[in-house]
Amino acid sequence: MRTRERGKMSGHSTWPEWVYIGVVVALLCYVGAEAWNIERIIEHVPADAEIIKVTGQQWLWTFEHEDGTKEIGELHVEKGKAYKFEITSTDVIHSFNIHDYVVLLDAVPGRVNTVWFSPTDAGEFPIQCREYCGLIHYNMRATLIVEDKGA
Amino acid sequence: MNHSRRIFQTLKYIFQPTQKQPIIMKAIIGLGVILGLLVILPSVQYVLAAGDEPGEYLDRRVEIWGLFYRLMIVAFTIGTVVSGTIVWLVLRFRESNPKAKPTEYEDSGTW
Repeated sequence: MRTRERGKMSGHSTWPEWVYIGVVVALLCYVGAEAWNIERIIEHVPADAEIIKVTGQQWLWTFEHEDGTKEIGELHVEKGKAYKFEITSTDVIHSFNIHDYVVLLDAVPGRVNTVWFSPTDAGEFPIQCREYCGLIHYNMRATLIVEDKGA
Repeated sequence: MNHSRRIFQTLKYIFQPTQKQPIIMKAIIGLGVILGLLVILPSVQYVLAAGDEPGEYLDRRVEIWGLFYRLMIVAFTIGTVVSGTIVWLVLRFRESNPKAKPTEYEDSGTW
């Protein structure tokens, strides 16, 4: 049956419905394409990014720089430089979050997840576990300290 | 009727040459396309998104929050249109609306 005949049978025109469906499908395509594109862009790590190994455990964060320097509860980085976090856990699932730099990734035992960022502002920024990991989860915190070059 | 017999009857119904067959075949093709996309799209994303070429310096805050705001504009636009349509429908087709016409059953007592 042709669309025009169906429209007559239903007693009203159907073209607004097709416009509505077309607009919604177009918007959904736009949403999917945009999200995919941004995800693709931010996943690619700059070649000169320094690797920092991040380990979550109940209930603290430890960091290990490329030169072997280890830090507990504090992470010192340089402004304007790229850092790639290799995140894992030794016990339960945690989630590594630097809220001010929109860094958020799970720390899973037996698995290394990676995310990179480049700090643009000097200062101190909170690091917080974002996956409930036990009694002291609320206090599983650390501090990101971004320093100017040569400081 | 046991399960295997029911499945056999269903398959026989689908594949027997009748006038209803084109509709069923269309449904099968449509389902196949949807399932295919469910496999193909994640595969394409995996291949393209997991490239090893180095990326450029960027501020992920700007990219991610920019994406968030753009998607919120889309979400609120759709939300406004949908909720507006619902409100309009409720007001327009309420029984007490002066423009409301009784249904055939309400009018004549017959369908």
